[in-house]
Amino acid sequence: MNFNDSLRSFKEFWNEFRKEKTGLVGLGILAVFVILGLVGPFIVPFHGAEAHWRDIDYWQDNPQAAPPVWTNAFAAKKGVPSSSLSAFKVEAETQDSGAVIKTFTFDYRFSYDQPPRDLIVRVPGSGQIPLVISLERPDGLAAEIYRDQVELSDSSPERVSVARNCGQAAVEFVRAQDADLANSMSADLVKPTSIFFSKLGPETLDNPAMLKGDYKIKVKALLLSSDFSVGSPSILVSGHVSGLMGTDASKRDVFTGIILGIRWALIIGILTSVISVVAGVLLGIIAAYFGGWVDWLLTRLYELIYLLPVLPFLIVISAIFKPSIWNMIILICAFFWTGSFKTVYSMTLQIKEETYIEAARALGSSKWRIVFKHISPILLPYSFASMALSIPAIIVYEASVSLLGLGDSTIVSWGQILESALSQGAMINNLWWWVIPPGLMIALMGMSFAFLGTALDKILHPKLKTR
Amino acid sequence: MYRKFVLKRIGYGILMYVVMIFIFSTLFNNIADVTMRSQIEEEVAQEATRIRNLNGDQLKATLESRRESKIRQYHLDDPLPSRIFWRSLRTLSFDYGNSTTIKASNGDRLVIRIILEALPRTIVLFTTEVILVTIFGVILGLYAARKPNGPFDRTNSMITMITNGLPAWWLAMLAIMTFSYAIPIFPPGGLHSNPVPTGIAGILDYLWHLALPLLTLVILGVWGTAYLVRNIVLSNLQEDFVMAARARGIPERKVLFGHTLRSSMPAIMTMAILGLFGSIAGNIIVEGIFGWPGIGNLYFIAVQQNDVPILMATLSIETLLNMVGFVILDIVYGLLDPRIKVGGKA
Repeated sequence: MNFNDSLRSFKEFWNEFRKEKTGLVGLGILAVFVILGLVGPFIVPFHGAEAHWRDIDYWQDNPQAAPPVWTNAFAAKKGVPSSSLSAFKVEAETQDSGAVIKTFTFDYRFSYDQPPRDLIVRVPGSGQIPLVISLERPDGLAAEIYRDQVELSDSSPERVSVARNCGQAAVEFVRAQDADLANSMSADLVKPTSIFFSKLGPETLDNPAMLKGDYKIKVKALLLSSDFSVGSPSILVSGHVSGLMGTDASKRDVFTGIILGIRWALIIGILTSVISVVAGVLLGIIAAYFGGWVDWLLTRLYELIYLLPVLPFLIVISAIFKPSIWNMIILICAFFWTGSFKTVYSMTLQIKEETYIEAARALGSSKWRIVFKHISPILLPYSFASMALSIPAIIVYEASVSLLGLGDSTIVSWGQILESALSQGAMINNLWWWVIPPGLMIALMGMSFAFLGTALDKILHPKLKTR
Repeated sequence: MYRKFVLKRIGYGILMYVVMIFIFSTLFNNIADVTMRSQIEEEVAQEATRIRNLNGDQLKATLESRRESKIRQYHLDDPLPSRIFWRSLRTLSFDYGNSTTIKASNGDRLVIRIILEALPRTIVLFTTEVILVTIFGVILGLYAARKPNGPFDRTNSMITMITNGLPAWWLAMLAIMTFSYAIPIFPPGGLHSNPVPTGIAGILDYLWHLALPLLTLVILGVWGTAYLVRNIVLSNLQEDFVMAARARGIPERKVLFGHTLRSSMPAIMTMAILGLFGSIAGNIIVEGIFGWPGIGNLYFIAVQQNDVPILMATLSIETLLNMVGFVILDIVYGLLDPRIKVGGKA
């Protein structure tokens, strides 16, 4: 078969495939998955999340178990979405003494009904630097959030958490306006973010009304020596809602996890199905064509594996050997090749008796040549359909093993996200944004392959054409 | 002739089962040895507390000889093939020994008791599920087959493909989240309330706990079965006898329910029988999520706690049930279709 022939037969196939609407839908969804799987790590909001998925420090700035941002549309009290402010204006002012004051100004538009949970300011740099962080409010008041001499180095940027470090500053801010009110406050008990972002008045403490408008956050660093330097600071607003799909109980961004999981689901599904179906088809042909002891051995092996309870066996093997994802793929293959074996076996028994095979044999073709040149090409189309159709089950198996906590812990898969949801009480706390998306993705991917497989089956499997 | 076929099939099934048990024994050999030895130590230590009238050296010697005899009894000092052989033999004779950590509700540690305690619960949930799924599946499948490619058939096929890759345990999680916590109308799991009500209230309580897992499983499972039944019935609808029946003017209803359903029965029965035997193994994850203490749950606890005797026993019982299902099917087939029992190749 030369190139033009295969091109023509592909065109023929495509013309038929185009008529299968479900097949096209499946192909479309799959294409989106493949694209997301390829570019996924670059478009997720948290870069490098894959390597740090189980790293508590990496996720420490996120709010815990926060619903998705778009739930604000349905909420009576709008929560603050978590966001990071990185756009700033910088001014440098050289003093007579030679010291330089660098001022970074961030704009933040605040129009929510609840104060942010936290405001985290990170300042990288090197040397001993007096640092002042202040807030200019829409009502014209200014508050000094933080003032300290900090020791910066490349490995440890300064991290200021307003909620934790700035209780005293909040009380001082109130004292400047209303000393009586300040006296009734305790620096350990107040919520600094609630004070900084609410209208000042007697109700600030118990029932604060939010002050909406444009805020300016200023980070001022005094560079006393030219050896000292300060890099670009960043501010993280930790809110009540976060990201497209919220965060989990370990503060991880669910959307990031979902996107990263696509790649692994595709790799596991496609690799396993291709290996197992090709193995099943070849073994089926070999068993039927060679006959004799080869047939006997392969058929016994098939029966043995067919009778094994798959999931219990996978689980116990995973528990004993703690497999990596690659070993898991091999293990699933060991079970799934049986899926196509028997069909191919009986098809080959028929093909074996065809005259052209006999002719080939009479011309002196070797057995292997007949298997690969004459029988395999006929059965290959059938195998494409069964590859696609076996993928949903493979993905579910991997997810099931992961759900039991026996998966490969170096990757991020949907099963593992669901495992943490199950073990960390997502159901009791009704954290639906943590449970629904991963399962929906498993279902969606399974569905796309099922659509594709059924369409392929209709076109390529001659028996089903009449249906 | 038929008797010979039956005997051959059964004998062959037993042979396969023996081979599988040998494979399991080989796989678990190391862990099982360690477990066995620690159990013997435990037993010997227990005996030591009972012996009173011996001095130190005598006691030591007696215990040593007890240990020796037990190790000999279980062939623990034999070479590897022999150990595997004896372990397989014990498993084959349903002597699963004692569990390491898991106990039955009355504190019994005999593996067979623990399994017999869990088995009925699994049967209540999963066998009921298979029966309901088969009944509703056949009804839905027949309706779909009545007008192939009609709106009902299409919806049905669509749902089948959507539920195809849907993990049952995920639906279980959703069901619990929705109907146990958000809208609390069903209990989140377990067999019964605490304290257990008695009499009629007890039965109702049990049914109440059974409802959510059963509903979840049936709602998910019925589509695939319906689709299979539809395909089986459709392929039968193309047979000549159906055309002949239609030509004779027999109403379509009768053709469908009388002629076609009847000739589709063997295939549907295959599905149902395999499903029934498979159902006894339960579902490891779904049982875990619903806190339903059946065989699946037991198996997973055994995996987590490294309880090899239970693991081995559950696995071999599941394999045995699978095997029995296949053998029964083959025998029934042989009865229905004379060509099969003549033998020959596949």
